Amino acid sequence: MIKLHNLREALMNRMRPGDWFLQGVQLVVFMCAMAVAHASPTLYERIGGEAKIKLIAEEFTNAILADDRINFTFAESDVKKFTKLFHEQLCALTGGPCKYTGRDMHEAHAKLAINDAQFNAIAEDLYVAFEKAHVPYHLQNKVMVMLAPMEKDIVKDRGFVAPGTTRPPR
Amino acid sequence: MKRMSVVTTLAVALGSIGSGGALAENQTDNMLGADRGKLHLTAGFSDLEGAGGGGLVPLAFITGYGSNQSWGANAHFTNIQLRNLHLFTYGVAVGALDRVELSATRQQLDITSGPLDGLGVMQDVYGLKVKLFGDAIYGQDSFLPQVSVGAQYKHNDGIKHGEAVGLAGVINPQQLGAQAEHSTDFYLALTKVFLGESVLVNAVVRETKANQFGLLGFGGDRHRGYSTKPEGTLAYLVTRRLAVGGEIRTGPHNLGIDDQGNGWTLFVGWTPTKNLSLVAAYLNIGSVLGPVTQVTRHQDGPYLSVQAGF
Repeated sequence: MIKLHNLREALMNRMRPGDWFLQGVQLVVFMCAMAVAHASPTLYERIGGEAKIKLIAEEFTNAILADDRINFTFAESDVKKFTKLFHEQLCALTGGPCKYTGRDMHEAHAKLAINDAQFNAIAEDLYVAFEKAHVPYHLQNKVMVMLAPMEKDIVKDRGFVAPGTTRPPR
Repeated sequence: MKRMSVVTTLAVALGSIGSGGALAENQTDNMLGADRGKLHLTAGFSDLEGAGGGGLVPLAFITGYGSNQSWGANAHFTNIQLRNLHLFTYGVAVGALDRVELSATRQQLDITSGPLDGLGVMQDVYGLKVKLFGDAIYGQDSFLPQVSVGAQYKHNDGIKHGEAVGLAGVINPQQLGAQAEHSTDFYLALTKVFLGESVLVNAVVRETKANQFGLLGFGGDRHRGYSTKPEGTLAYLVTRRLAVGGEIRTGPHNLGIDDQGNGWTLFVGWTPTKNLSLVAAYLNIGSVLGPVTQVTRHQDGPYLSVQAGF
C-alpha cells in the first residue's frame, strides 16, 4: 500500500521526465538480471558435467604426482581416495549433484607444513588439469575463486626460511 | 654503454639461473634459495621506471617470482619509439620475501626528429616498494586489494647536445625552468584481481614533482612543489600467462615551456615462463615541449619491453 501511495504521489507531482527514464532503465536492468539468473546453468554444467569433473580430478592428481615441488606430501596418501574426494569437492562447489564427504581443508592439511610456494604449485597443477581437460580459462578462474580462500586453511608454514636451508620434515 | 652491457650480462645470467638450464616449471629450484614460487604474471612486468607494474603504471605486486620465503630478481630492457622521441630504459630489480622490491633503472631519451632533433637526456631512477597487506589473487572472499607503497628517487643526469638545436650552454633542466635535477616520487598502489571475471584493477596515487617523468627535471615556473596525481590499470587475463589491458597516468604541468598532459597505454603482456616476460604496447604521452617546438601532436608509438629473471 505504501508503495502504491508513493507511486501515485510520484505520478502526481514528483517525477520529471528524466526520473521516468531512470526508473525505466532500472526496471529493464532488473528484469535482464532476473532473466539471466533464471536461465544460467550451474558452473558444474558449464564446465561439462560429470565426465569433465571426473577428468579434471584425475588430471589434477596426475599433475600433482608429477610435480616435484609438491608430490612428496602425497608419499603416504591414498591417491585413489584423494582423487575421489577432490572429485566430490569440485562437483559440490560448482553446483553439481555431489556431497563432499572428506574432512575440512584445515583439518585435512593440519599435519602438512604447506607453504605459499607449495600452495601456488598446487594451484598451477589445477590450472594444468583444467587445460588438459580443455576447460576455458575464464571458467577455470570461476572455480579458482571458490578455492582461493582455502589458502588461509591450507597454508601453515609462513615463516622465513634462510636461503640454502631446508625445512625440517614433519 | 658499459652499464648496458652489465645489464645484458645480468639479464642472460638471471634468465639462465632461473630456468636452471631447463624450462620445466614443476621442479623445485633451490639455486641461491630462489623458489619461483609465485603464480605467472604476479611478478608484474618492468614499468618505464623499473618498478614491477605494466608499462607506465606500477602495481602492488612485488617484482620477481620468489615466494614469501624466498626472493627473485630480474633485468629488463624497454625500447620506446614515439613520434619525435626515442626512449630506452634498462635496469635491474630484486624482490625479497614477496614484501620488498628494490630497483635501479637508467632512462635515455633522444629526440630523433623535429625542431629539437639531436637533444638527449639521461636519468637514473632508484625504486623501493613495500607490500603492506592484502593478496590480490587469493583474497577472493574479501574486497580488500593488495596494497603497497613505493618511493622512486630520480636523478636527472643532464641535457646533452643543446648546441645542436641552438640551445648552446643548456646542460641541465633548471635552465629550462625546472626547480631541481633530482626528486623523489611517492606512491600508493592498490591492486585487485577479480578472478571470477578474469579482470585486474589497479589504482595508484602518486606524489610527484616530475616533469615528463623527471626527464625535464622537477618542479617549475608554473608550480614548484608536489602534486597528487592518480594513475590506473585495467587488464583482462586471457590466459594465466597472457594479459591485455590499458593504463592511464596523469602528470603535473609545472613547466611553462612544456605542455605535459596525460599518458596512456594499450598493452599485451605475456609471461611464457617465469624467466621471461614480454610487453608490447601502444604508448601515448601527449604533447612534449609543445610551446617550444610548436609540435602539438601527441608523442605516441610502439613500446616493447623484455624482462628476464626468476
